[in-house]
Amino acid sequence: MPILKVEGVSKIFKDVKALDDISFEFDHGIISFLGPSGCGKTTLLRSIAGLEVPDAGTISIADKVQTCIERGVLVPPYSREIGFVFQSYALWPHMTVFSNVAFGLKLRKKSDDEIKRKVMATLDLVGLQGREQRYPSQLSGGQQQRVALARSLALEPRLILLDEPLSNLDAKLREEMRVELKKLIKKVGISALYVTHDQDEAFTISDAVVVMDSGKILQYGTPDEIYNRPLHPFVAAFVGHAALVDGRVVRIDGDNCLVNVPEFNGADLISPATEALAAGDFCKVVIRTTEVKLSPDGFPKGADNVLEGLMTSREYRGGLTDHRVQIGSKELIVTSHKLCPMIRVNGDGAKTFVSIDRSAISVIVTH
Amino acid sequence: MPLVASAVAGAAIMTPVLVVMWRSFTSGKLGFSVGLNLANYLRVFGDKDIFSMLSNSVIYAAGSALLGTVLGAFLAWIVARTNTPGKALVELLPLYPILMPPIMKNIAWILLLAPRSGILNGMLQHFFGIETLVFNAFTMAGMVWVFGLACVPLGYLFLLPVFLSFDPSLEESAYIAGSKPVNTMFKITFPLAIPAFTSALVLNFLRGLRSFETPVLQGTPGNIKVFVSRVYDSMALEFNAGLATAYSVVLVVLSIITLYFYIRATRFSERYATITGKGYRVKVIDIGAWKYLTFATVVLYFLAGIVLPFIVLIVVSMIPYFDYDTFMQFPSNAVLTNYYTVMRHPSFVTGLYNSLFLSVTIAIVTVFLGIVMAFTIYRTRAAGTKVFEFIGTLPLAFPPLVLSVGLLIIFIGTPLYNSLWALGIGLFVAYFPYAFRNASGAIVNIHKELDEAAWVHGARWRHVFFKITLPILKPSVGGALFYIFIEAIRNVDVAVLLTAPGKEYGPVTLFEYFRVGQWAEAAAGGVIYLIILIVAVSVAKFAFKMKFSL
Repeated sequence: MPILKVEGVSKIFKDVKALDDISFEFDHGIISFLGPSGCGKTTLLRSIAGLEVPDAGTISIADKVQTCIERGVLVPPYSREIGFVFQSYALWPHMTVFSNVAFGLKLRKKSDDEIKRKVMATLDLVGLQGREQRYPSQLSGGQQQRVALARSLALEPRLILLDEPLSNLDAKLREEMRVELKKLIKKVGISALYVTHDQDEAFTISDAVVVMDSGKILQYGTPDEIYNRPLHPFVAAFVGHAALVDGRVVRIDGDNCLVNVPEFNGADLISPATEALAAGDFCKVVIRTTEVKLSPDGFPKGADNVLEGLMTSREYRGGLTDHRVQIGSKELIVTSHKLCPMIRVNGDGAKTFVSIDRSAISVIVTH
Repeated sequence: MPLVASAVAGAAIMTPVLVVMWRSFTSGKLGFSVGLNLANYLRVFGDKDIFSMLSNSVIYAAGSALLGTVLGAFLAWIVARTNTPGKALVELLPLYPILMPPIMKNIAWILLLAPRSGILNGMLQHFFGIETLVFNAFTMAGMVWVFGLACVPLGYLFLLPVFLSFDPSLEESAYIAGSKPVNTMFKITFPLAIPAFTSALVLNFLRGLRSFETPVLQGTPGNIKVFVSRVYDSMALEFNAGLATAYSVVLVVLSIITLYFYIRATRFSERYATITGKGYRVKVIDIGAWKYLTFATVVLYFLAGIVLPFIVLIVVSMIPYFDYDTFMQFPSNAVLTNYYTVMRHPSFVTGLYNSLFLSVTIAIVTVFLGIVMAFTIYRTRAAGTKVFEFIGTLPLAFPPLVLSVGLLIIFIGTPLYNSLWALGIGLFVAYFPYAFRNASGAIVNIHKELDEAAWVHGARWRHVFFKITLPILKPSVGGALFYIFIEAIRNVDVAVLLTAPGKEYGPVTLFEYFRVGQWAEAAAGGVIYLIILIVAVSVAKFAFKMKFSL
């Protein structure tokens, strides 16, 4: 039984399609919705919570229909039995930590004993024991985040929705919290739907990732599938460091696919073949620039796809360095761990060879 | 449920507004109306005084607004940005309009400036032998002076935050560019304060158009007619509802035009956005020898604008009767007879009780319904909320006197006529927009996710309203309750047409005393109100920790 089922959900805000016929199912675990701001991921989350009413479609949680515009079903948010962690945390400033967490339990008419036991157990779980009489303003950002989580967990929902819950924390704390958040959700054993625009966060935390743009789902898969086998140029560009160039499939050779790239002085690149590819297809060639190698000293023997280029500048970033290499009419930003020497020849830049391993390339048909 | 409450409040507001509009197109005396015609408007625009009335209204409102706003802005600048000695005297300014009801200001200044019996002319004659009557409260200049002083606090309150929370880097970058402090003041600081200044100016102009006490107490005796006094005369003296409503409509049109400019001015000021959330510490500038001039301004304003009226009121309330010689004999002739007289006078005692009872009740009712209506508009998916937004703000375009004209026309012939309910409804309609706008501003500022977090964790609208919205609004609720209580307890312009024998309203009683020449009793009654207001301020300050300075 899927914990969440969304069928044909659409929502238009003044000519802008925030959600364009979204359908997906999700059994259990942690699923992330990843996309740039304005892609519709938050609208989808709010529609699932019942805070937003879509223009069309059906949303079911644990096989119970919550929203069905066609049949006029609209379960109010207070009856959906879900958890929701807001981007701003939305802790009620006039209530103590205890009262914030106890709020939903009180509305469910639990006994005082039970409320106390549950609140304390949940605060214990999130590591906030001893803080129950504080007010939200007396807590740090990370602690406020935990209270927001505890407030939802205390109600023991089967599904918890998280709307960019870490975006208000500083970078270091964010990395700590996402690991902890994952552990906690797994420990409690509930399902979670997580909205974020940060691909690292999405990949670390989730079992499945959904990439969205302009109200549409572009790809739904495991983090590994999304990163290594993007099905859409946007997905490739949005997750990780990738360069995109236009190409055309020359031929398929068993496991390999030969693609002609006009921008690289018309070079042919070897890449892994997929079932979707056929000779003559126009395509986008996605190159993972972190896996591209630079050989300024001479032709790298035995490497795949060796191209010749001019290194025009370098940006040193500490652990990594971005090298700008002009290949034909295309500038490739190659990120590597070591700083490559750059010997300028007649002011244009330094001549270098670039090799792209075939596993660092994916080819997406564009028709 | 919240929708029903909002609808009731909306209906209470719309009825007098529509009645004024409709009644202005019919003729006949109070209680009757005949046919649908333009007779009233023909009389209004056929009146040979219409142009002088129009120019009087505009000169009076513009003159007071200009005097008050310029002085207020100047004082704000002195307090915020200069090293003027004694500027602490001005920091009490926000408290002054709270303690001094408008009617008491007029009474005090008339006692000072009256041509024959006035204290200042008497002093000129007595000490300097000047026989000419230099001062005259019953002239345009007298009106502008008294109402202009009443406009100072608003100018001060609008400009002070601008000068205080001004981003210092705006001035610092001018210094870097080579501009000296005085030049920077004129080229950077003052121009950036223009939007706030314009807002205060236009708002003071609007207050001038609507003001009742000064035109009736000072303008009418000096035969200077403005629209408000003409509406009052048509209704209270000629009992001609058609004419009163026609004059009202002209006044409303003027108010709406002014409001339009006010809205434009405030929109414009947002673009300047010099005030940010950051708590800047602005630099105080050493203005050198100029500080003697600013010091003189501060002291003069403090004495003439604030202290003098208080002293005059207190002294006059404690002398047997008012004339110049008796006034000058104080304190050897101090008596408390005026206090005995007013406290034994049924019209004052009932009025005092009614004003206390009604202003407490009205404050609670308007603030609660204002929050309910704002909650309905901004926090529920109820239909037609735009309409409520419009209705809730509408009475701002209607001078309070005009609203009570409308209500009086409705009440005649019903059991509400001459009842305490009539007064209560009038005050409700006049003060509801303030409560509503205050609540809207506060509710819009509460992050919507706080409500939504309650929805998804199991709360229904009543839980959200009583457990989240209301508790978070607590600080602004306190302020709104206090403000409406203070405004209502000294109201004259709504109550003046709705009082009846046995259903008096305190400030209106004082207004009547003054009109029939019982000046010393009026002063004594005024001092009693002053004491009530001081108690209210102290309670607010100490029991509810309310702040009265910025």
